[in-house]
Amino acid sequence: MPGLDIRDLVVGFPGLERPALDIPELVIPSGAHVALTGPSGSGKTTFINIVTGLERAPTGRVAWGGTDIAGLGEGARDRWRAADVGLVMQEFHLFPGLSALENVLLPQRLATFRLPPSLRAEANRLLARVGIGRPGQKVETLSRGQMQRVAVARALVARPGIIVADEPTASLDADAGAAVAELLAALAREVGATLLVATHDDRLIAGMERLLRLESGRLMPVASAAPSMPVPAAADPAA
Amino acid sequence: MFRLIAADLVRYRWGALAVALLIALATALGVVVTLEERALRLGSARAAAAFDLVVGAPGSETQLVLSTVFLQPAPLTLLPGRVLAELSADPRVAYAAPVGFGDFSDGRPVVGTTQQLLDGLGGVSEGHRFTRLGEAVIGAAVPRALGDTFHPMHGPAEAHGGVHTAITYRIVGRLAPTGTVWDRAILVPIEAVWRIHALDDHADEHSGPDQVTRADSAGEPGSGAAGAPTGAQPRTIADAYRLSQEREATGFDAPIRPEAVADPAAPGVPAIVVKPRTIADAYKLRQAYRTDHTLAVFPGEVLTRLYGTLGDARQILAFVALNAQALVAAAVLLVVLIHVMARRRQIGALRAFGAPRAVVFATVWLEAVLVVGVGLVAGFGLGYGVARVLARLISVQTGVVLPVGFSAEDGSAFLVLFAASGLAALLPAALAYRQSPAAALRA
Repeated sequence: MPGLDIRDLVVGFPGLERPALDIPELVIPSGAHVALTGPSGSGKTTFINIVTGLERAPTGRVAWGGTDIAGLGEGARDRWRAADVGLVMQEFHLFPGLSALENVLLPQRLATFRLPPSLRAEANRLLARVGIGRPGQKVETLSRGQMQRVAVARALVARPGIIVADEPTASLDADAGAAVAELLAALAREVGATLLVATHDDRLIAGMERLLRLESGRLMPVASAAPSMPVPAAADPAA
Repeated sequence: MFRLIAADLVRYRWGALAVALLIALATALGVVVTLEERALRLGSARAAAAFDLVVGAPGSETQLVLSTVFLQPAPLTLLPGRVLAELSADPRVAYAAPVGFGDFSDGRPVVGTTQQLLDGLGGVSEGHRFTRLGEAVIGAAVPRALGDTFHPMHGPAEAHGGVHTAITYRIVGRLAPTGTVWDRAILVPIEAVWRIHALDDHADEHSGPDQVTRADSAGEPGSGAAGAPTGAQPRTIADAYRLSQEREATGFDAPIRPEAVADPAAPGVPAIVVKPRTIADAYKLRQAYRTDHTLAVFPGEVLTRLYGTLGDARQILAFVALNAQALVAAAVLLVVLIHVMARRRQIGALRAFGAPRAVVFATVWLEAVLVVGVGLVAGFGLGYGVARVLARLISVQTGVVLPVGFSAEDGSAFLVLFAASGLAALLPAALAYRQSPAAALRA
């Protein structure tokens, strides 16, 4: 399971004086569960986009387990993301008209010429694991909590080493949010994946081993989210 | 990918249906104009094929051709009988056949002519040619059986002309199909037509309607039969009727005399179909019969001129159709683009989850081409159907048979349209291709 190693990352937008993101160094060990917080506009989305390869880092090095995705082209990043990253988003982005099972399998179906037969079994297993009783049910008939659980199953079906969730509980009520938060942590642990969650949800933060706080594009030093863990010296103070 | 496209189409079925329908209607518009124009051209070319040269009395060339080739009823001035005699004797003429129209049976034109025209039209496919005055040959599309009998009416049914009760034609043959108006005609010996009208003129001169052949032939100096034996003057209408019955009843069993048409004293005819021996003869004959008293035309040439006029109308129609299609194409493209834009986050999500850009591109392209393709195919089908219905309506009203059919150029037109829509679909597909996967995250 890859860990994250960021060096000298500076992301600026034209017209903005200060860079949207400025991270001289960040190391997340393999298999760690990390929460990312910060006020809106602090650069969380930019950070997620960069570390998942949705956007390309203009400078510096963004390496997951030795693969510097800052050096990959768009197609290569797509392939890398399909193989190594499971994404869960605030909007579930499930495709109406398709069943829960079809939605779980859709990204792999589109990315691979022929779907490995084992994947279908894995998808069914995961759907059962997240509590979706009828895999053939059309997604538009599910509740929001169920939809996000299908999205979690979709993120995990290809057994990625990295799971990135962007506000996964923000559009859910408390109970559904708690269920999703628990599932994310538990499933990431089951497969040994590195989990990175951008969130404001205290309950979700509480379940993480480490907390990163972004302010104006810079990482701020914070205490560990989980008291049992030692405080890691991960976040560099602003330059 | 196909499952995704299918699910998407089902989800947006009404929109997709509306787009396909728009395309179908626009396509059908162009198809109808093209098919109908071609059908008109082919149909009349086919109709004119048997008529190399037509000679009539001076007047409208177009009317002469329409009346002869398309059997369109119109009061034509008669040619004196000697013209037919002259033409029959001309060494440059293979045959000269009179065309005597004006009578009808059940709305079908009854045309007096000679055996030569029967052969010129393609010959008899069933039964035999008429050999006696009371015999008739029907066109391929006349729903009557051989052996049936009928009385001709003077003028179309709606004109309420009199019925020639005395003569009873017996159908003895059926022409091979020609694909022209003549398929709906009944052909009888010209001599019989002459004789009926001569008798009728005599028997009921009080009758009101000014009928074509009769009125004109009565005034024709050469119509010898009109002045045929009269006997005692009848004193009452009943007497006259009885007299005419007796007179008409006799003689129609007599064999036809081919030499009758060569008689310079024969009654007049409205038109003569001339089959020249060579092309050079055709031009010489046309020259010779363009006089103060006669008019000679090549139907093909007259029709071509007619199409010249129609062609302008067609161009306007085609221009209107083309513009309508262009507008629809632009509107559809815009709708598809807006649709893709509106779903950019969903498309971004596909990319974010790892779908390759090429697959996203192909999905959007294929879906667009699928909808447009269905519209195109439906449009060609619809256009064909409408063209068929229109052709039938025109055929019922005017008798001009319009062969509606696709040709190779329609196939290439379809391919060009399809290729064009394939190219146009590249635009929304490219838009989706360029869509950043980052858009899938929070806006």
